[in-house]
Amino acid sequence: MEPLMYIQAVPADTTTASTPYDSVWAGTEEVPVKEPVGLERVMLQQDKIYVVLGVVLLIWIGLAYLLLRNDRRLKRLEEQLQAPD
Amino acid sequence: MSMEPQVFAPPKTKPLPGFQPKRYTLVRNVVLGGLTGVLLGGFLLDIPRINILEHTARNLYFHVPMWFTMMAAFAVSAYHGAGYLRTSDPVRDLRSAEAARVGLVFGVLGLVTGMLWARFTWYVGTGLWWNFDPKQTLAAISLLIYGAYFALRSSLEDPRKRARLASVYNLFAASTVPFLLYIIPRQLESLHPGADGNPAFSDITHPTMRFILYPAFIFFIGLFWVIYTQRVRLAWTQRQLDEDEAWEETW
Repeated sequence: MEPLMYIQAVPADTTTASTPYDSVWAGTEEVPVKEPVGLERVMLQQDKIYVVLGVVLLIWIGLAYLLLRNDRRLKRLEEQLQAPD
Repeated sequence: MSMEPQVFAPPKTKPLPGFQPKRYTLVRNVVLGGLTGVLLGGFLLDIPRINILEHTARNLYFHVPMWFTMMAAFAVSAYHGAGYLRTSDPVRDLRSAEAARVGLVFGVLGLVTGMLWARFTWYVGTGLWWNFDPKQTLAAISLLIYGAYFALRSSLEDPRKRARLASVYNLFAASTVPFLLYIIPRQLESLHPGADGNPAFSDITHPTMRFILYPAFIFFIGLFWVIYTQRVRLAWTQRQLDEDEAWEETW
């Protein structure tokens, strides 16, 4: 039976699967390691801990958004309850 | 003829039915403390280092609870949607809408945290932020289905009609969630754990991670409850002010 949906093929580039910062890469020295470029230069440092930081920051942004939404509602209520001058 | 001095009398509003301030405050404080603990433990607890995954395994504590919280929120939303259809109580409609709204935010957070995680873990060197992985795609579809819930709500003027139609649609939307997030992805090839050919959570996760992960589930769902309760209180008070005397007639 034909599958309903195929996963899109990831362009093969195994040379960067292990980075210079990788602490547990068990491969031999023949594997060429490509220097990461751009954002990856930052995100792959320190065993990728900055990826975790990014995830936590995204959640913080989402919670801040909810906080601001609640604030807007509260402001509308306050304006309606304001005593007329 | 003497003029009476005008006294401003703010309209009287009823408190939210069933709201227990003491319980709310207790839950809120426990949740804030608990999430602080989850953050500390999530970063400080030593975990086995696995190739490719490295420290990003810690994202488990944050990315997965987003989805569990979203599902809990949508379950609350569907429960109150069904409750509205049964009782025609306007508060149930408010609760249903607010639970869906907060749940949708958690769902979006689950999606973007998953994108970031995959980009720098499994898609390193490819520059891919989005790869139409079945798990990803179907999760995005479930968010669109709930987005349509709010489009439906804002398109209807009459509050009674809006509440009734939105509740019916809500039940449909909730019924798609298990299929889109669990049943269909399991049949398809995917990079995501729990899909065809990939081990499920229990086989690949180190036992020590559970000490953080399970509390994270509880406290993020608790956080949902706190935000949701705040929003229902605001919405309930707002509705009473908007409608004022016409309140009883409208409903």
